[in-house]
Amino acid sequence: MSLYENLSIEDQKAFVVDIGAAYVKCGLAGENGPTCIIPSLSKNSRTGQVVKIWDYKNTEELYEYLKDLLYTLLFRHLLLTPRDKRVVVIESILCPSDFRDTLARVLYKHFEVGCVLFAPSHLLSLLTLGTNIGLVIDVGYQETLVIPIYEGIHILKGLQSIPLAGKAIESRIKSQLMEHGTVCTADKQHQAVASIPDIVTDELLEDIKIRCCFVTEYTRGQQIQDVTMRGGHANKLPPPPPDTDYPLDGSSVLNVSGRIREHSCEVLFELDSEEASIATIVLDALVKCPIDTRIALASNILVMGGTAMMPGFYHRLQLELSNLLKKPKYAQQLGIKGFRFHKAPAKENYTAWLGGALIGALETLASKSLSRDVYLQKGKLPDWCCIDSEFLEEKKG
Amino acid sequence: MATFMSIDLIKYLCNCGKKCPICRMYLCKHCLKLRCIDCVQHEVDSPYCPSCLESMPVSEAKLKKNRCINCFDCPLCGHTLMTRATSQVSPNPDDPSKAVTRKMYYMACGFCRWSTRDVNLPDQNVATGNWPVMENPNAKRISNLLENYKLIAQVEKAERERKKYVKRRSHLYLQEKYNMSPAIVKRKGMASFSSLSLKEGDKTPDDLDQSETVSSFDPLPTEFFTKPAALDKITKLTHRFMLPEFQPDETSKLHPVRKHLLMRKSLRCSECEHNLSKADFNPNSIKFKIQLTALHWIPEVRIMTPSTFNLNKETVVTLTLSNPSVFNTTVTLSQIENETDTDYCTAKVELPKKEIVLASRDEASMHVYEESTATHDFKDDPKLIAFRKGNKVGFIVKVTPVVKDSDVKICFLLKHEFRNTTVAALQSESKEPEIVWLEHKVYLCLGTV
Repeated sequence: MSLYENLSIEDQKAFVVDIGAAYVKCGLAGENGPTCIIPSLSKNSRTGQVVKIWDYKNTEELYEYLKDLLYTLLFRHLLLTPRDKRVVVIESILCPSDFRDTLARVLYKHFEVGCVLFAPSHLLSLLTLGTNIGLVIDVGYQETLVIPIYEGIHILKGLQSIPLAGKAIESRIKSQLMEHGTVCTADKQHQAVASIPDIVTDELLEDIKIRCCFVTEYTRGQQIQDVTMRGGHANKLPPPPPDTDYPLDGSSVLNVSGRIREHSCEVLFELDSEEASIATIVLDALVKCPIDTRIALASNILVMGGTAMMPGFYHRLQLELSNLLKKPKYAQQLGIKGFRFHKAPAKENYTAWLGGALIGALETLASKSLSRDVYLQKGKLPDWCCIDSEFLEEKKG
Repeated sequence: MATFMSIDLIKYLCNCGKKCPICRMYLCKHCLKLRCIDCVQHEVDSPYCPSCLESMPVSEAKLKKNRCINCFDCPLCGHTLMTRATSQVSPNPDDPSKAVTRKMYYMACGFCRWSTRDVNLPDQNVATGNWPVMENPNAKRISNLLENYKLIAQVEKAERERKKYVKRRSHLYLQEKYNMSPAIVKRKGMASFSSLSLKEGDKTPDDLDQSETVSSFDPLPTEFFTKPAALDKITKLTHRFMLPEFQPDETSKLHPVRKHLLMRKSLRCSECEHNLSKADFNPNSIKFKIQLTALHWIPEVRIMTPSTFNLNKETVVTLTLSNPSVFNTTVTLSQIENETDTDYCTAKVELPKKEIVLASRDEASMHVYEESTATHDFKDDPKLIAFRKGNKVGFIVKVTPVVKDSDVKICFLLKHEFRNTTVAALQSESKEPEIVWLEHKVYLCLGTV
């Protein structure tokens, strides 16, 4: 069977993997959606514990985690022999060097893949639109990263990031549950969650975020922030949405209050101690861009990342941006009237993956990526922040 | 069962420098080296459906996107769906006064009671293979984009080919050089896709529509403020990711999930590329075509009984060696001289100095429960050899722990005869299989001080 495997053209398909902070998106190039989206977890072979792969202590540990993760992807989901295959790795432009290097080591040395293209996620997501100008906002799990891209080039000066995204919402839910959450069991009513903290697991928080919470409307959001952030009187709060009874198991029910449902996502839009929210960094990014690119960028905004799929997110972000624009701080600097948003032909959480799948299906993939021979010869990856990455070019020249 | 239970106690050193339990290792008969799971190549051999056990070649599985056509999983609990048959009465098209009964099929989950009728999927008139396939609403746009990029890539490729053959004249080269802005040249690592832009001049086809932009979005529906979250109607993230392309966010949009295929794996030695393990093609069969697990070829060391240890005091420990081969095998044990790493060696050990001959493994006699297995005629020193039983030998080592407050760990070199039957088969001139001596470093953890 495997004798003929490498002869068919069909098999030249590259596989595309995007290792996100919370979920790994993986699939074959040229397809419309990823084959699988699985949590970024790995089993520590020494202790047998399931760990998040980004919580690594050193590169040896990460090497084992990535080996385990890629093994699962390749042999459980893609059913693909990795040898001499082409790979597209979608990475954040701020991906730590030791993570990239370790991933390259696993791919080239352990799985012996043919060539790997490390591609920045923001640029790839623009490929799904068929444009090369855009202000890309990635609202993922760990952080929100805004990068303006003009004519296919990152404007690195305008790069803005803030650690407010899915994880911040979850920790807000957790702190609110600890503060005033209650659990009803068969024999005890209104037991405080703080007295039984073990029930608040990461899975529970994620599920509450997905199924109960939403991004509220702009005016209500401002009223809430007046009370919670600027010390307004509590009776000015808008009437909260109804509470939800969240069944924990057969006998106990967690009361997810309307406040938790509505207020949790406010963490994204509250101005923190540095007067920054995910909306202000979008404008800050524009301010840092060259003046002649701003209008084009503002009318080509693309939002990606799983947290952007929260109900009401787009509506709120658009209103936040247009209201911030009226503030004197931005009104004078930016000559922008309004914003226009793109909708990628994909769900937000795999937009970058789809871009990778498009570029992976092209004939020119091999010439753009780093082959195993070159990697073994040079022993390192080209990196945009490293001046001596010219060697990739030398080979081509 | 000790071979498979407390596997972390006794480890063999693999050629790659890792220490692994013997049941997780392979012996390559061509390089005669131990291979652990990390230094063999894994290959996808034959994908098959775990439900209907239909197997297919890799290329066919890929066409089906690694999903079985006939079997479905429940989108809620992941259990395999069962096809149910019902009869439906409908008027006869020829004679409206008579009714005909037809068999209709739907699918239901036997575990969580979900059925295709819950999401208003119409019943089918054939039992298998006719269920509707979900269509990605963006499929057309994506294929347009892909077509477009493919054309650009072709142009780019042709350009490169041309450059390869046309000898550059100096002024052309300069012109090209100055057309590129220095910033682009510097940031080549990222700019290498900038040539994929759509505005690449007239060469690219312009029939691709620009992506549309919007300036405002619909506000939240009022239910969010007036009703509690309908937990029974909103799907969990795991349910959404069962269909990653569609990610249904409401239970009414769920769709049966085509069963994901599993595969049989074959292993290859990464040095000589010979197969180490290859399963039978038929997924019903549990046999192997080739199985070179180390357990079948290399004498296995085990600890006979747990003992108690005292610091700097000699303790007698009985270890056993069992011979998997059908020949009598001679084994010698020796110290590893330069093992000073206290992670792996915390005790002094006195090993039997003489050779130990292991009796051959005899499948037939292994199942006879007879104590009087005095058939072998080995002249054993009772101070060294504790007992013999079939292909197993118990021998005595004396262990003196020297490191305080740690596990008692010893290591030694196991050297044994190995009759290479594969090579013998190839060189048919000599009847007797060639005898090779193999050496393995064995690391044991005996207990605590």
